[in-house]
Formats: sequence, structure tokens, C-alpha cells
Amino acid sequence: MTAYQAGLAKFAESGAQVLGISTDNLPSQSHWAKEVLKIDFPLGSDFQRTVSELYGVLNKESGIANRSTFVIDADGVIQHIEQGNSALSIDGAVTACSRVKKR
Amino acid sequence: MKLTRLAALALAGLALPAQQTPPPQTHLKVGDKAPDFTLRTTHGKPFKLSDYRGQTVVLAFFPAAFTGG
Repeated sequence: MTAYQAGLAKFAESGAQVLGISTDNLPSQSHWAKEVLKIDFPLGSDFQRTVSELYGVLNKESGIANRSTFVIDADGVIQHIEQGNSALSIDGAVTACSRVKKR
Repeated sequence: MKLTRLAALALAGLALPAQQTPPPQTHLKVGDKAPDFTLRTTHGKPFKLSDYRGQTVVLAFFPAAFTGG
């Protein structure tokens, strides 16, 4: 699990802006980001569930987001989507990032 | 032989949780404009997606902090 988060740091290194999003409240996320994971990229708190709903990843029964990765290019267009367990591996998204960057 | 069987059982056990509830599937497709949003973040300032035009952005939704996600 933390490998996924550690992997996300690779995006930041490649110049992509990474935003982790969960439906946790901000104090929970802050504690987790700083004390547990020690990650540099920001986590966004979707406590209202609006963004998870907007992106179609909200599990309405549990009120939490399905694990999903979206790569968005410089024009704001989605270039890569990965959902569920396959989103645990960031390889596809990393490839998409470098592809987008080269264009 | 016994080890192989044990390994198969272990793998089956790992595969089970993923099959329980079907996760929501996004309606968004590659080529779609990413819906704009603003969120409060752990970095103090709000994140507005449209502020990042000109840069690749990776949005990583994850279930919940304390599930180890």
C-alpha cells in the first residue's frame, strides 16, 4: 500500500503535479501525510464527496472513493485512467505521463 | 506438491476480497476534459485543477487514509 504512495512520488520527480484525493477530513490526511507516509505532494480532502462524484469514483454505499488514477495533460484533457486494483500499480500512469510530456 | 497447493490456496485467499463489491466505474473517458474542482489540501492552500494548465496533473483517488491506502 505504501509502495503506491511511494510510487506517486515518482510522478512529482518527473515534473507532474500529483494530488492524492480521499474523502477523509483534512486533519486525518495531514496527520497521515506528515507522520505516517512522510510524503511531499499534497492530499486533497474531498470530505463533501463532490469531486469523487464528479469523477465517477465514489462508492455511494461506503462514501469512500474507489482507487483510481487520472493523468491529465497540459490542456486539461484526460490521457489515462486506471481504476480499482490495477490502479495500485502506477506503471501505466507513469508511462502515460512520460508520453504526455514528450508531445 | 504440498507447497504448490499451499501457494495456490494463499493466492485464492488474496484474490477473494477484490471480488466482493463491484467498485464504481467512472463515466469519464480518455479524451474528455477533466472536470474542474477546488479542494482544500494538506499543503494549506486550495488546489484548483484549472490553475495547473500547462502542466501534467496526476489525480490519485484512494479509499481512506487509515486503511493504509
